[in-house]
Amino acid sequence: MNQTCYAVISVVLAGLVLLGIKWMSSPRTAVRGNRLSALSMAAAVLLVLWNNGILSVPLLWAAMAIGGVLGYVMAVRTTMIQMPQMVALLNGLGGGASALVAMSEILDKYGQMAVFTKLTSQLALIVGGLTLSGSLIAAAKLDRRMTQRPVRLAGHNVLSNGSIVLALAMAVFSLSMESAVVSLSLLVMLLSLSYGVLFAIRVGGADMPITISLLNSFSGLAGAIVGFTLSEPLLVAVGAIVGASGLILTRIMCRAMNRSLMNVLSGAIAKPFNNGAPAGANKAPAREAPAAGTGEAADQPEKAVREEPAGAILKAARKVIVVPGYGMAIAQAQGQVKRLVDVLEARGVQVDFAIHPVAGRMPGHMNVLLAEVDVPYEKLREMDDVNPEFSETDVVLVVGACDVVNPAANTAEGTPIYGMPVLDVAAAKHVIVCNLDTHPGYSGVDNSLYGMPHVELLLGDAKVSLERLIGEIEGGASDVSAQDLGATVQAADRKEPGKVLAAARKVIVVPGYGMAIAQAQGQVKRLVDVLEARGVQVDFAIHPVAGRMPGHMNVLLAEVDVPYEKLREMDDVNPEFPETDLVLVVGACDVVNPAANTAEGTPIYGMPVLDVAAAKHVIVCNLDTHPGYSGVDNSLYGMPHVELLLGDAKMSLERLIGEIEG
Amino acid sequence: MNALFLLLVFGIATWLGYRVISEVPSLLHTPLMSGTNAISGVTILGSLVSAALAVDLGSKMLGFIAIVLACVNLVGGFLVTDRMLRMFKS
Repeated sequence: MNQTCYAVISVVLAGLVLLGIKWMSSPRTAVRGNRLSALSMAAAVLLVLWNNGILSVPLLWAAMAIGGVLGYVMAVRTTMIQMPQMVALLNGLGGGASALVAMSEILDKYGQMAVFTKLTSQLALIVGGLTLSGSLIAAAKLDRRMTQRPVRLAGHNVLSNGSIVLALAMAVFSLSMESAVVSLSLLVMLLSLSYGVLFAIRVGGADMPITISLLNSFSGLAGAIVGFTLSEPLLVAVGAIVGASGLILTRIMCRAMNRSLMNVLSGAIAKPFNNGAPAGANKAPAREAPAAGTGEAADQPEKAVREEPAGAILKAARKVIVVPGYGMAIAQAQGQVKRLVDVLEARGVQVDFAIHPVAGRMPGHMNVLLAEVDVPYEKLREMDDVNPEFSETDVVLVVGACDVVNPAANTAEGTPIYGMPVLDVAAAKHVIVCNLDTHPGYSGVDNSLYGMPHVELLLGDAKVSLERLIGEIEGGASDVSAQDLGATVQAADRKEPGKVLAAARKVIVVPGYGMAIAQAQGQVKRLVDVLEARGVQVDFAIHPVAGRMPGHMNVLLAEVDVPYEKLREMDDVNPEFPETDLVLVVGACDVVNPAANTAEGTPIYGMPVLDVAAAKHVIVCNLDTHPGYSGVDNSLYGMPHVELLLGDAKMSLERLIGEIEG
Repeated sequence: MNALFLLLVFGIATWLGYRVISEVPSLLHTPLMSGTNAISGVTILGSLVSAALAVDLGSKMLGFIAIVLACVNLVGGFLVTDRMLRMFKS
């Protein structure tokens, strides 16, 4: 085939791919744009086959058939919520393919290559290899097969920088060591794979948008470099376009996260104080729950300030179960337990005691101690009797019990407590634990209860913790400071959020990663429909890094048929908050944290955020009040015009819908 | 084809890509990323040539696997992008 003619067709095809991407810049033409790009790629495949005279090689068609079927099956099986990990996985395969081509070329004809080609083949090996392993790690993290928290090895920087520098050195070295090129190339491949792993494991969940964009750029770059090796201009051109697009997205994400690309690359990624997702997503249980208490203050100083919630939770409760353990005996805290119970009962709260058969150091140990302080015998309930009631209990107060309330007994196979019947306290709405410390009990098995989001730890002497709880309930002080959590519970009782919503004329919804985790987009849509049917104007404010990849929220909302005109970008919507009656935050935290404007020295300082605090009212449907990924407490939560609806966003939204309609 | 020409192609394509893509609204960032990710399966062009023309059996096998991977990337990528984009109806 005439090479000029081939070059012309190549340019046309590259242009069509570019046009396809151009069309993707508007929702109206985006579907067409994607299909145009796909067709251009198919044409490019045929062109290359034809140009090389390999149209009729069955091996190639067999490979394409296998890949095509696999790709098709994967694509139709993926749900929208799995999109981030799917994109990451596919991206890794592309990088892997580039690395394999480079390896194949090196094996086949390294001897006949020019220096430029030799170098590019090694470079393709490096970029392709790190894209493959980095993307696979990212996909595993997004799919929760790996911890979302940043993993740092000892000497992480030395290892990662060392592996990439060594890989580059080997690549250059192989120029003068032609006889050993195969083993050297394998070494290069291994080193770049390690670099990809090292690079990706220390990225936390919330930094994934940056990582995925960057890896996307790398996979394009790897393709372009393979194009250099094979002298294939079409491959160079299209690979470069993808590389550029990934780079743009990476820059946008970096700006939105208030981070420089060098920071991300060198591993100066967000401080790992709290692994949480922005938006009160699942917390890894490994972390101790926010110690609303004294003992572990040194461990989590930023949390120690918030001592109020426990008292406020108890104040708002209707049904409380106390679980005493050996610790109560040691602390001799039964007198305080009784006083607390009396205070609660005087407020009309129903209080019971749940007695585990092996609580304490002898049969009936707890019963004796409680009888000593005149707790009526009828209040002491046995395990089998009381277990079904935990799910309808507002607060469980654990006093010095550990193994007997450890949910790990149901799950942690191979540990000494596996299979042991335990009190099912985790099923309650809130759990307050007054233990000396978070050390495991007699069994030596860590208590997985401590890491759960609805569990408050009051560490230290149980006597002191209980006295404080009594003080908080009796004194009015906690009324003022209880905005954080108590206000929520109380507000929910007063059904205020629904009323506020029902009275609003202009509402802006701010979704975050928590909405994705809770899969609450359906409820969000229903709430919006209900509001719009009442003539309310509803918009969505989308922060650029809300979610786990660029545009994550948009996809989820599109899935439930929210029209894209309603999705507004930050700069566009920020001026409108002051005239908004109500902002509904669903699973977003850092991106609405006003502290970003004021809290100098914190990771989010200077990050552009949605200015929701300017609205007349704010309702926050987050799982808990833990800080987002940044680890910075959200100052929004304490503001007087903000209502918190904690817990599963799906349920909070259902309740709001019910309150408006009912 | 000489290296200089290829570098020129690389430079022009990067510049053009940069210009075109900076206009995509954040609304479509995920489909864009997914779409360009599919396009990065363009490396299949290299895999095809490499697999077909390789003499060494090992090279041929590597090329074969590369075609499979790139093809999964292409087909899967375009399909998921299509699924996502079809949801953005007005």
